[in-house]
Amino acid sequence: MKKFWTIVKAFWQRALTYRFTVLAYRVGEFGEVLVLILMWTAIYGGQETISGFTLGEMITYILIGNVFNAFIRNFLSNVIARDIKDGRLSMFLIKPMGYFNYILSQEIGRISLVTFLSILTQALAIGFFLRVFIWNFDAAYLVVILGMIFLAFVTELLLSYLIGLIAFWTDEVDGLYATVDRIKKFFSGGYFPLSLLPVAFVQTSFALPFAYSFFIPAQLYLKKIDLSVGVKGLLIQIVWIAILYGIIQIVWNRGLKRYEGVGI
Amino acid sequence: MADIEVKNLSKTFEYYRKQSGFSGSLKSLFYREKQYAEAVKDVHFSVNSGELVGFLGPNGAGKTTTLKMLSGILHPTSGEANVLGYVPFKKEKAFLKQFALVMGQKNQLIQDLPAIETFVVHKEIYEIPDGEFKKSLEELVNLFGITDLLNIQVRKLSLGQRMKCELVAALLHKPKVLFLDEPTIGLDVVAQKNIRDFLKKYNQERKTTIVLTSHYMEDIKELCQRVVIINLGEIIYDGKLDDLIRKYAPYKLLKVTFNGEGIERLQAQTFGDIEAFTPHACTIRTDRQRTKETAIALLSSDLPIDDIIIDEVGADDVVRMIFCNQSSPCL
Repeated sequence: MKKFWTIVKAFWQRALTYRFTVLAYRVGEFGEVLVLILMWTAIYGGQETISGFTLGEMITYILIGNVFNAFIRNFLSNVIARDIKDGRLSMFLIKPMGYFNYILSQEIGRISLVTFLSILTQALAIGFFLRVFIWNFDAAYLVVILGMIFLAFVTELLLSYLIGLIAFWTDEVDGLYATVDRIKKFFSGGYFPLSLLPVAFVQTSFALPFAYSFFIPAQLYLKKIDLSVGVKGLLIQIVWIAILYGIIQIVWNRGLKRYEGVGI
Repeated sequence: MADIEVKNLSKTFEYYRKQSGFSGSLKSLFYREKQYAEAVKDVHFSVNSGELVGFLGPNGAGKTTTLKMLSGILHPTSGEANVLGYVPFKKEKAFLKQFALVMGQKNQLIQDLPAIETFVVHKEIYEIPDGEFKKSLEELVNLFGITDLLNIQVRKLSLGQRMKCELVAALLHKPKVLFLDEPTIGLDVVAQKNIRDFLKKYNQERKTTIVLTSHYMEDIKELCQRVVIINLGEIIYDGKLDDLIRKYAPYKLLKVTFNGEGIERLQAQTFGDIEAFTPHACTIRTDRQRTKETAIALLSSDLPIDDIIIDEVGADDVVRMIFCNQSSPCL
């Protein structure tokens, strides 16, 4: 545990060294939320509801969903792919701490500042729309949402790690990452609530891990889905985490035998 | 007792051949010719505890690949490697805690933070107790005289300063076996000498087993009693550096300087093969056994001799000769 904290602290410091980049990204994030809200306001154009969403609910969906998403994101794939491609992985392989544990600690340290500021940015956005924002202080819901976000964070980390490991075979993973990222965003409901689509889509997305990072917790927050569905969701997430972990073990062991440690 | 034991070790890499140019790139989208390169072929050797062994070889000879297999980074295609009684590729924690690898061209320090942060991370990773950590750090930092550098961002350090910090990071956990892959590469002569002196002292005091690769003969000459020469993936020599010179250079050099008008090339040729010639200075090769007689003959001749030096062939030259014979002819 002490190892973990030491690494997290070291990379927390690193993030502070690059304050400007960290802050610059936040401006874009803030802008994106504003654009989405502007767009939906235009689409509603005086309509009372769209697919059961009032404009207030839609705005709340976007705002709260982005808060959740800020907790969950990571940028691990590229870090891993670069370590493999440039042969930097070699220096980790000789240490008495697994790469998996090391790089996850590093990533948590690396993104902690970003995550914190992202949440702050999204909170600021909520501040702008306080008059329409819908509050939910139902403890039972909040506990399930919190659990869901934590598990979604773990799922995302594992998924990014797995994508990064593909570099053992392909050297670069940017293309794969970009594609998976778009699929993820779509199935997570990050573009728009999935309930706007035919039922089949919603059902599929419940079985996939992605919707648990945006759509489902946001719907829970709006009490548009039942608490029991949320609890079932937690179980589905745990199953996905187990599956991803299993695949990672296999891919890691195979990849390591292929690894050439180039670059020197 | 042998710390490192290597038997029939081989490593083959796969790669693809791409035809040159844009059309070649297009073709390679559909068809790629798979090729194999044997980086290390059937290598045998062993290193005793406390020994300092130098690996010599031209670029691409297989030195680094061998070190990587010994560190468990690469999986051998065939054969066995055994370090401190462990199979490296299994990466058992007990093994990983007892050795270190430093690569001149690769860094393990966290670039955007001062070196001290990496040291603290290493302390935790290697589970070094507080007291021991403080003591080791102080010793190493004093040996190198880098107290002032510890709080500077690693990116801002010079190559030589960085290398010293890399070595400190690698030695904090007091490894029993140390692999050094070109630790002096790119350094100026002063920094090279610093690192060399440090390694020599460290090896003598701690009795650490060290395997080192380098392109600089000075490193090898000063540090290693024993050299292993690798070329094209195969070991072609394993023994003392002095014996190597005797084996591959069965002659000595007579360096003669002349007074006055100097001499003609033809006059010198009667005493042996000419290595270098100017009218006032000439280097003559002579058989090891016949060195003395040749020198006497020279002195008793009527050539205007000013001075004679009898010298061994330089290790650099010997090694260059070996590599030339093996791979490609040299000029």
